[in-house]
Amino acid sequence: MSQDQVEILQRALKREKAARKAAEKILEEKSRELYFTSQKLEQLLDEKSSQLQGVFENIIDAYVVMDLQGNIIKFNEAATKLFGFDIERESVNVINLIYKEDYEYAITSFMQLQSNGYFKDYEARVYTKSKEVKWVHINASVIFDKDKNPVAAQGIVRDITEFKNLEIQKEKLLSKLEKSNDELQEYAHIVSHDLKSPLRSIHALVSWLKEDNINSLDKASLKNIELIELTLEKMEQLITDVLNYSSVGSDTSLREEIDLNGLVSQLVSILYVPENIEIKSLNILPNITGDKTKLQQLFQNLISNAIKFIDKEKGTIIIDVEDVNSHYKFSIKDNGIGIEKQFHEKIFKIFHSLKKSKDSTGIGLSIVKKIVNLHEGEIWLDSEPNVGTTFYFTLKK
Amino acid sequence: MVTKLKILLIEDDMIEIMKLNRTISKLELNHEIIEANNGEEALQILEKKDSLPDIILLDLNMPKINGIEFLNILKNNDVLKYIPTVILTTSNNQKDLLECYKIGVAGYVIKPLKYEDYVSKIDKLLAYWSINELIKV
Repeated sequence: MSQDQVEILQRALKREKAARKAAEKILEEKSRELYFTSQKLEQLLDEKSSQLQGVFENIIDAYVVMDLQGNIIKFNEAATKLFGFDIERESVNVINLIYKEDYEYAITSFMQLQSNGYFKDYEARVYTKSKEVKWVHINASVIFDKDKNPVAAQGIVRDITEFKNLEIQKEKLLSKLEKSNDELQEYAHIVSHDLKSPLRSIHALVSWLKEDNINSLDKASLKNIELIELTLEKMEQLITDVLNYSSVGSDTSLREEIDLNGLVSQLVSILYVPENIEIKSLNILPNITGDKTKLQQLFQNLISNAIKFIDKEKGTIIIDVEDVNSHYKFSIKDNGIGIEKQFHEKIFKIFHSLKKSKDSTGIGLSIVKKIVNLHEGEIWLDSEPNVGTTFYFTLKK
Repeated sequence: MVTKLKILLIEDDMIEIMKLNRTISKLELNHEIIEANNGEEALQILEKKDSLPDIILLDLNMPKINGIEFLNILKNNDVLKYIPTVILTTSNNQKDLLECYKIGVAGYVIKPLKYEDYVSKIDKLLAYWSINELIKV
């Protein structure tokens, strides 16, 4: 080997050495980087699994994992508490938890889980370890492995026993309420029948007394007989009104679109309006949703009240309406005798007639108030004695 | 031609029975009234198929068998179901009214408070049935 050759080889070796050193350094750096990355990953993994573990342990709802045969693999604390089983010590299959009447529903939902990969809002009863029955709400889904093969199923189970019981209780109460309303209505009819029958009999007997003794009765006796008949009429009217009042609260389900303009103009044409009284509407009345018979009764009572209490030579009744957002505000204004301030509240209470007369039993305005309230409205009035009264009321659109 | 009617009145109230009798004599009508104080008594009377009434006036509110129950029995009987039955009652209960027409009645008359009004209603009712052709046995 010549000197030249040796030098060349030595230089080459030197370069190799340097290159290797550089490579080693890079490798070391890479290793270090890799080490850190893997540590970071591990940390992340730890973090994620502890997060999951936390979710698993801390969610209020029960969390259940089962294998594809329905054997329970995992229960969180809430699930253990709900079902009462300790799955570390005993094996449990979901089939045994299903309430027998809900079995079919459970199978249908399970098949849905298999075909769609999930089911939602399953609501049924389950047995606990102590054979207690509980209502549960379940959302479930299938767990797949990395090759998309199903390996297990998981479900979030919420105990809705209390909610269901309340719901059942509510339904029971509602149907009970409906029944007792019907009974009350029936009762009102029977009472009114039983009260009216004797009145009719008295009326007949008094008529016969009069008929049979028409020649021997003096003027005063005839007048008294007439008073008996008037009293009987008033009594009967009272019974009819009480029955009507008790009927107002019932069957509120009858809600339809009502053309108030048509209703009121029809009402005005059938009501007895003396010639000296004029009834006018300032605006076209709107359509509202409500009960036709009751709304008719409402306007009829207010308009005939206005007619009844007009004492002026020329009477006017003015009906108007105003749009106030969710409601309409109606007004019925008369130039009658007026009502003193101290009675403004009282007149809406049952049996508070201010004027004792044959044709006012003191129930009319209490019925009016009840009807307005049924249509989610309010009623009030403005009045000046001897000048007139304006009744205002609102009805929901 | 005005027919002389044979009327079966089913009514538990004594004064109501007096009212109908007095009304018929006051109006000088020639109808025959058979009284039954309740549904059971009426059914006994109706057992005699050779002397059935032309029309029945039926009160709804009665002890034992009430008016609607009685009406059901009547309408389920092949012979008796043809007798026109008019309800005479205090009840203006919409439920009763519907039920009666559903089972099948020939009329539904509310007993008014005033005796004069009662006389007028009975007068019209009997006048109407007097000019009707009725199934005679």
